[in-house]
Amino acid sequence: MLVYTLRRILILIPMLLFITFLVYTGIELMPGDAIDYIASPEAIANLAPGALEALRESLGLNDPFIFRYFRWLGNIFKGDFGYSLSSGLPISVIVYDRLPATLELAIAALILSSLFGSILGVISALKRGSILDYALSVVGMIGVSIPQFFFGLVAIVLFALKLGWLPYAGRTLPGYVSFFDRLPHLILPSLVLAFTMTAGVMRYSRTSMLDSMNKDFIKTARSKGLPEWRVNLIHGLRVAMTPVVVLIGFRLPSLISGAVVIETVFHWPGMGSEFIQAVRSQNTPLVMMISFFSVTAVLAASVVVDVITALLDPRVRLD
Amino acid sequence: MNSDVVVSVKNIKIFFYTDQRCNKAVNGVSFDIKKGKTLCIVGESGCGKSVTALSIMRLLPELSRIEEGEIIFNSEDGPVAIQELTKNGKAMRKIRGSEIAMVFQDPMTSLNPVFTVGFQIMENLLNHNNMSKREARKETIGLLKKMGISLPEERIDEYPHQYSGGMRQRAMIAMAMSCNPKVLIADEPTTSLDVTIQAQIFELMDRLKKEYETAIVLITHDMGVVAELADDIAVMYMGNIIESGTLKEVLSNPAHPYTKALLESIPVLGKGKNQKLEPIRGTTPDPFNRPKGCQFEPRCDYAYEKCKDMPADELLGGEHVVKCWKSQEVLKDAKK
Amino acid sequence: MENKIKRKTRLDRRMDKIRALEESGQLKNKRVNRYFRKFKNNRLALWGVIVFAVIVVLCTFAPIFTRHDPGEIDVLNKFQPPSRDHILGTDQIGRDVYSRILYGGRISILVGLGGALGAAIIGASLGCYVVYKGRRLDNIVMRFSEIMMSFPQIVLVLLLVTVMGQSLNNLLLIFILTGWGGVYRMARSKILSIREEEYIQALEAFGLSNFVIVFKHMLPNVLGPIAVNITLSTAMFVLQEAALSFLGLGVPLQIPTWGNILNVARNVAILRNNWWMWLPVGLVISVFVLSINFIGDGIRDSVDPTQQG
Repeated sequence: MLVYTLRRILILIPMLLFITFLVYTGIELMPGDAIDYIASPEAIANLAPGALEALRESLGLNDPFIFRYFRWLGNIFKGDFGYSLSSGLPISVIVYDRLPATLELAIAALILSSLFGSILGVISALKRGSILDYALSVVGMIGVSIPQFFFGLVAIVLFALKLGWLPYAGRTLPGYVSFFDRLPHLILPSLVLAFTMTAGVMRYSRTSMLDSMNKDFIKTARSKGLPEWRVNLIHGLRVAMTPVVVLIGFRLPSLISGAVVIETVFHWPGMGSEFIQAVRSQNTPLVMMISFFSVTAVLAASVVVDVITALLDPRVRLD
Repeated sequence: MNSDVVVSVKNIKIFFYTDQRCNKAVNGVSFDIKKGKTLCIVGESGCGKSVTALSIMRLLPELSRIEEGEIIFNSEDGPVAIQELTKNGKAMRKIRGSEIAMVFQDPMTSLNPVFTVGFQIMENLLNHNNMSKREARKETIGLLKKMGISLPEERIDEYPHQYSGGMRQRAMIAMAMSCNPKVLIADEPTTSLDVTIQAQIFELMDRLKKEYETAIVLITHDMGVVAELADDIAVMYMGNIIESGTLKEVLSNPAHPYTKALLESIPVLGKGKNQKLEPIRGTTPDPFNRPKGCQFEPRCDYAYEKCKDMPADELLGGEHVVKCWKSQEVLKDAKK
Repeated sequence: MENKIKRKTRLDRRMDKIRALEESGQLKNKRVNRYFRKFKNNRLALWGVIVFAVIVVLCTFAPIFTRHDPGEIDVLNKFQPPSRDHILGTDQIGRDVYSRILYGGRISILVGLGGALGAAIIGASLGCYVVYKGRRLDNIVMRFSEIMMSFPQIVLVLLLVTVMGQSLNNLLLIFILTGWGGVYRMARSKILSIREEEYIQALEAFGLSNFVIVFKHMLPNVLGPIAVNITLSTAMFVLQEAALSFLGLGVPLQIPTWGNILNVARNVAILRNNWWMWLPVGLVISVFVLSINFIGDGIRDSVDPTQQG
């Protein structure tokens, strides 16, 4: 098991390195002076006119590309991600500030959609052909057809503006101390973000469950005189879950995509809305770095998904 | 009433409903399953033998049902009408796995790939007995050893894909025999295995029969296996048992054209390469477009007008029953 | 004691009916039954085709269906609710909302469909070409597509927008660039599985060149899944364009698209008070994408039938 996990991580490293290379090339190619990205604004502002060139030299900005790349890579490992062009803040500070908000939103949506999606899908499968099944599949179809941001707008109008049950913007208000204080702010964005993904997971888990219940070992389980609930849940569901976990892993990039939009709609102060700001203001280094982080997140999550899959299905461990 | 009869199937009819059509897969089949004896049900694919077996366990698929007939199980508490029990109800589930058990054709797909073999065998034990997990585990290791699986203490925690084909089938048999059932139904248990492994599996089953006096129902299309193992034999064709009796009765004196043709189409080891092999002409009819009366009539050399009516069961002596208007002629021809 | 009285379930009664029909001689109707069921399933797909066609026609022939000019500014009549003159009212500078939706649809549909088709053509041809060329190239392109697919879609698109600048043509190009990966992988895996089939070996034994084998014999088999993929990609791209334009980062604001029109909804006041300016557009997008999904489902059903009962 441990070997399997390590092997999975090892495979990713060359890919990540290649991506860092692309990212750095992208940063390099953009118009503008690289020094604004590498050095803090205070350092530059306090310089005498001629000292700029000396600073450039000391930061290694006149060295060949490869050296600069490795130096930048080294900085990344030390936690120095460079400086934002528009605000002058170190990018690491921005990340530290914004990441928790995005994680909160994304993880809430992930848990909600995985749970609801799989449970509803399994119920649909077990009650195939019933009205419930039909209704759920219609809701599912609608779920993947409505633009996420539009659904968010409708939710805002309905629950926040017209009914006044929930706040419609922001993550927190001054005076909020605990997580539960902030909870009402989290509800609408996370539900909206979860909705689309739930529809996809529900559909897939229904198919997977139907496939699983058609297999021979279900007949064997019944032939042992096991009660139906055990046949369905312990034998059928267990086997059906593996493809669903794989699918959820597949859908993680789109969850992040959704987060970017939802954060903007709900004025949620996370990495996503920061990203949009960066694109708007042509803040290339920040755009590049956030993109890089999102890919890293996806790849890390895919390792976790692979490990979970191997735990669920022993045949995978042979890989 | 013969006290050795464990299960008595009387005129069972099973119909399948697919594509808005009705397929009369089993159309009036009767036989007795006797204690300590092996009954072989023989026939081509599609003749309804698997369906009959599944019906005894009430494991038929959703879009089918037992139309008429009875399946009487002579349990310790008296006769039980299996066809009337709720399909997955408590009473039926008590019988499944502990009184009547089944072994399926393909052990690779019949075992759940995500659970260990030991777990799946213990599941059966724990479901029917009031034993602790530790006792069940001990029992399972004993079972694996008895079925000829080496190193059972390790094997118990392995997964089906780590077993070889023959071992998997042994594990299935272990699972089926775990609660010492009165009847063991084996649906073509060796079709997906090598011939050498086949022999081992059958030898195992024979041994179990003698040791526990289990009644065995063996479903197969292989006449060679039948000759080796059967005490009684029932030959099925397109939903009917066209001939049945003890092994000696049927094989020495076949009274139905189909049985006769089957025996003539099988090569016999030792008879040399010039032995005459007569394939049966024609093909099995479309189940949705069956001939009227006797199902074998289009392919039969003895067919005449009366065959348009389904032949009645004719008792030829002992336990030998045949469904053919021309049985006497067939008997005479076979003696030649 | 078990309940000995068997209650007739609904399924039982249906089976009784079928049995009675069968015994009275309903014989050779098998063919009729198959088609009957296929039609019923495809009723949704049929609905999808109709709605899709209606929207496409309305937008393509917009001048016939509205007499207003989508760019016509009439500040005196701004924020008008729906009326006889303006079926869906006017926006914040007096433009007719209904005509903006119709004309905007042209661009949105163009971007969606164009992107999907472009990605399919490139992805499929690349898939075929790479398989026929051999393992080396296959590995390289596979890795590359894997990397591209690890990026969240919007992130990748916006990255390219930052690099390439914001314009209609660029957006189309970007969609094709981000979309080819999925089609490529699907085409490649389908072709690889076909390659294992025996008739390919027969073709090779006859001396046909690799090129002919791949493009003339294998490619037609991939067209089914590719068609499904095109419909699903169109849906995805229409939604993406809407999201991007809503944020102001998709098609430039001068050119009306469905997403652009929704841009006004970023203003809470408009959201609250002027429903006609954003709600109809959103519904149109949803209905359009829904119809595409129905069509895609219908195609998938006919390409891969696994019906039961």
